[in-house]
Amino acid sequence: MRRLWRFYQRFLRHWKQLFLGVACIPLVAACDIKITLLIGDALGRLRNGGDTQFLSGFFALVVIYALAQGFFRFLQRWWIVSVSRKVEVGLKQDLFDKLCGLSLSFHNKSRSGDIVSRLTSDVENIRMLLGPGIMYVGGALVMVPGSLFVLFRISPRLTLAMTVPLVLVAVSMKVLTPRLHRHSTGVQETLAEISHRAQESFSGVRVIKGYGLAPLERQEFAEVSRKNREEQVLLAKARGLTQSLIHLSHDLAFLPILLIGGLALIDRSLAVGDLFKFVDLGFKVFWPVIALGWITGLYPRALASAERIDELFDETTEIRDPEHPTPAPPYEGGLSLRQVGYTYHGAPQPALADVSVEIPAGSTLGIVGPTGSGKSTLLNLVGRLLEAQGEIRMDGVPLRDMTVADVRGAIAYVPQDSFLFSDTYRSNLLFGADETLEDDQLRDLIEMVCMQDEVARFPDGLEQMIGERGVTLSGGQRQRSCIARALAKDPRILVLDDSLSAVDTETEARLFENLHEAGRGRTVIVSAHRLATVRRADKILALRNGRVEAAGTHEELLERSDWYRETWDRQRMQEELEEL
Amino acid sequence: MSEPHEDDIVATKAWDTAVIRRLARYARPHSRMFFVSFLVLIGVFALQLAGPWIIKSAIDGPVLEAEEARLAAGTDAFDTAPYLREIGLLAALYVLVIVVGAFLRYLELSQLTRTGQAVIHDLRTELFGHMQELELGWFDRRPTGALVTRVTNDVENLNELFTSGLIVLIFDLLKVVIVLALLFSVSTPLALLVLGLTPVLIGVSLVFRGGARRAHRKVRARLARLNGFLQEVLSGIRVVKVFRREKRVSERFEGMLADYLQANIRTIFLFAIFYPIIGIVTLIIQGSTVWAGGGAIAAGSITPGDFILFWFLLQYLVGPIRELGERYNVLQAAFASAERIFDILDTRPAVASPVEATPVSPAFRGHIAFEDVSFSYAGPDGERVVKDVSFEIPAGQTVALVGATGSGKSTLVSLALRFFDPTRGRITVDGTDLRELDLEGYRRRLGIVLQEDFLFTGTVRHNLELGRSWVTPESLARALETSTAGELVARLPEGLDTEVAERGTSLSTGERELLAIARALAGNPSLVILDEATSSVDSTTEARIEEATNQLLRGRSALVVAHRLSTVRRADRILVLHHGELRESGNHEQLLAQGGIYARLYALQFRDGAAEAS
Repeated sequence: MRRLWRFYQRFLRHWKQLFLGVACIPLVAACDIKITLLIGDALGRLRNGGDTQFLSGFFALVVIYALAQGFFRFLQRWWIVSVSRKVEVGLKQDLFDKLCGLSLSFHNKSRSGDIVSRLTSDVENIRMLLGPGIMYVGGALVMVPGSLFVLFRISPRLTLAMTVPLVLVAVSMKVLTPRLHRHSTGVQETLAEISHRAQESFSGVRVIKGYGLAPLERQEFAEVSRKNREEQVLLAKARGLTQSLIHLSHDLAFLPILLIGGLALIDRSLAVGDLFKFVDLGFKVFWPVIALGWITGLYPRALASAERIDELFDETTEIRDPEHPTPAPPYEGGLSLRQVGYTYHGAPQPALADVSVEIPAGSTLGIVGPTGSGKSTLLNLVGRLLEAQGEIRMDGVPLRDMTVADVRGAIAYVPQDSFLFSDTYRSNLLFGADETLEDDQLRDLIEMVCMQDEVARFPDGLEQMIGERGVTLSGGQRQRSCIARALAKDPRILVLDDSLSAVDTETEARLFENLHEAGRGRTVIVSAHRLATVRRADKILALRNGRVEAAGTHEELLERSDWYRETWDRQRMQEELEEL
Repeated sequence: MSEPHEDDIVATKAWDTAVIRRLARYARPHSRMFFVSFLVLIGVFALQLAGPWIIKSAIDGPVLEAEEARLAAGTDAFDTAPYLREIGLLAALYVLVIVVGAFLRYLELSQLTRTGQAVIHDLRTELFGHMQELELGWFDRRPTGALVTRVTNDVENLNELFTSGLIVLIFDLLKVVIVLALLFSVSTPLALLVLGLTPVLIGVSLVFRGGARRAHRKVRARLARLNGFLQEVLSGIRVVKVFRREKRVSERFEGMLADYLQANIRTIFLFAIFYPIIGIVTLIIQGSTVWAGGGAIAAGSITPGDFILFWFLLQYLVGPIRELGERYNVLQAAFASAERIFDILDTRPAVASPVEATPVSPAFRGHIAFEDVSFSYAGPDGERVVKDVSFEIPAGQTVALVGATGSGKSTLVSLALRFFDPTRGRITVDGTDLRELDLEGYRRRLGIVLQEDFLFTGTVRHNLELGRSWVTPESLARALETSTAGELVARLPEGLDTEVAERGTSLSTGERELLAIARALAGNPSLVILDEATSSVDSTTEARIEEATNQLLRGRSALVVAHRLSTVRRADRILVLHHGELRESGNHEQLLAQGGIYARLYALQFRDGAAEAS
């Protein structure tokens, strides 16, 4: 309860609308009851005498109350549900900002699907309970006692008899709702399984076709489809049970009307007009009671959701600004690493250990090594995306004593996965730039990464949308664009994490030449699988299993490292085969 | 961003006879279930009407009779027992009716779902099976996500058609007609009044649903955009952080949230106005029946029982009409989905076994031949990526393909696997045209290792066996041993039963390649098709892969796209491809002696190790 209260406070920020909306609830109920009484009384009068003069006035009153009720019902829904949507949006914004603030180590260990589901279904569960839920519960809390009070004054006996099925339906709703959820989760899960199987089958189509596995695939797919079919039927049964119980109790409510009411009519203790009031209010109190049961059934789910959301809010980040940061001088971009290491959360072995290297400002450092040797980890540490063990200094100042903003302000990092946003090409290039660049400056950048021909072919030029809904760029084009994006902020230190793997060697060479000319004095750190990429670096680190196996220039490494020499030979061979 | 644009683009009709007729074909095998469903629906409705009718009978029967008896007796002290008994009987009947009604209602939902699901299951498995038949190019031209949507969302939409769409819609319309007819039997003037006002209800319902659908679609699209952006930021969080753009993406998210909120507010407005309007119209109908029927009630020509029955019937009328618009939406979505599904079912596979396929001879030892094969991805007039290539792989020999990216190596591999058919020329297997061969039988004789080989979710064992019945535990063990993958498997936490994470990400590239070789070995193939990976792996794994490759190729026919020198050298024949043309052919020594492209390359690269090589 206390957990949900925290979320309810978000609703209270819109207290004016919320208050007005809640205030409409009794007005709606009052109109509703009044209309029944009007019609019941009219019936009574008609039964007792032939006078029909009053009917015009009666009809006018019914219309007025109907309009008033409709009006209040509109306002009630409008205000309350709108508030719930506003709270939803606010909650999502806060969660999003929280996520952006969390460090890479959090993002590395969490699955994006899980996070997305917290921002979608969990937020929705809470909104349902605290928004529309309040409206339905409020409606029930006013309508049910109000109606029962009115009816009780007419016939206490009949009223009491009618409450039995009402309680029955509320209880059965509360009991059955979790069961409904369970089966609907079952359906969702089997659907997800179908989707997963299909996804795998379509992605792995080459293997499936190559091995002639289509019959097996069909059989396995039929199996998951059958499971879904079973779950669907189970859910339908649960829903059928719920609905038939609801209707049964609903119909049961009319049994006392028939039995007790009929008897009362015979001994004249009840008039026909009053009997009508029982019938009509019987209809009207029923749905609020069902809603009440439904909402109470939602409660445990919303509570679980609240817990999951709180978990996210409670996450902390280990990369924080120091209390007294060293003021940022204009950095030259020299780096010095001393005994730097890193161990991933839950991993038995460090991914990187004991790396010490001096990178003078303006020099180029190459990093090579097999997959999993720690290249990317090292570059992440330099960009302070992960918090390093040991010490990294920039121009003599430990990174830890600098603000995160200062560190990242000096460094431009091009990640391995060459990620571009589904946005215009211009926005992508300008993503990291602190000031807007003129078109000709952008063109210079594009030329520097040898993208001018491609960009010239974009139908919309710089405003070309990239990604699923625009043009699809090849791996090499994406990588070069990412480098342009990094250069747009004119960094002191440029970090390339295997960012040229899909670029052909000739273009790569031109690109490096351009970089060299344009960025005099810029420090460049570049990791690569292809040794040719780093061969002109001032220094090359060969990593292996998270440690420095050898360091030196290309020529020195050819001498010192077997791995380096073998790889170099093999890659030359491959390249020549490619270039035939 | 990944908006569900397809739903928006396909403008559809709410009725399509051709689609209905076709769906009926799927329903026919389950016609008995449909018949039962319909009976249950009728039963539920009949009992729904029976309840109020009993109440009416009680009020107009024993109660009125008692009233008359009282008047006749002229005193309150008359014998009420028979009337009370009659009420008691009616109450008992009422209980019976509602209990049976509740049971039938339960049956209704489960039966409708059962029926719908039977059809859906058939359709879904047929759709998936048909997709499996389609050629590789068909898959390559379509995003996987869209294909998945066909077998999930689109099929689900059709499910709705069966469970809450078509049958229920027909039945709802029937209900409206029957209720109106009953209203007439109770009181013609009142029924006429109701009949005059129902079009208003129907109109409100339809107009609202039109608006609500558009508004809903907008909400959905904006929510999808929002979630797409969230997903994108999560995947690109590194970039966001590196460039310190947390604030900017947050502002963009805020803008999208504002759009989403706005679309939502519009939907809330529509719903907030719809329910009250339906309520007001219903109340006005009710009020006017009292107003207009007042004289008749006072005169006794409409009995109190009639009036109460009338009241019940009105409730039964409003419900289906209120839902009418919703049913219309379900129909529309279902027809759009059906069209997309049938579109796929109507696509004939471009590559398929002929009806009277030649079976692959048990004696097949992997002897295949390319005879003047040309291929273009764009049909006979397109640019040819393979030009008049002829070569032969004699049984038991290895042919290595060497050439630049785009020289046609992978295309030749795809042709040998019959992922595509040659545009010109032919490929023969033991002298039979590949196109006339039983395709599945042929592929089962292959062992394939492709670049970036795909691992399926499941255990390592599952990935090695791939459900091939002829892979026995013994052949698997042997394959593991000869491929040296056994050691790798032994190091895994649960050995062969270790779960492979999605797309095999928990295994390194080299380990994946090793497993793929073991997988090929386990099937004891006659012909090996190997597309060597180019990515660099550490030298230990590299040595193992080399050894495993040797084992795989030993004594078998093989077509290999070679990137490793060792593989190239041990090939019986090396084919040098250039721009889709076969430029040189021969074994390592012959090609060296020939002094062509291969020799130049070799001299350039391996002059240091040349002695060792010969």
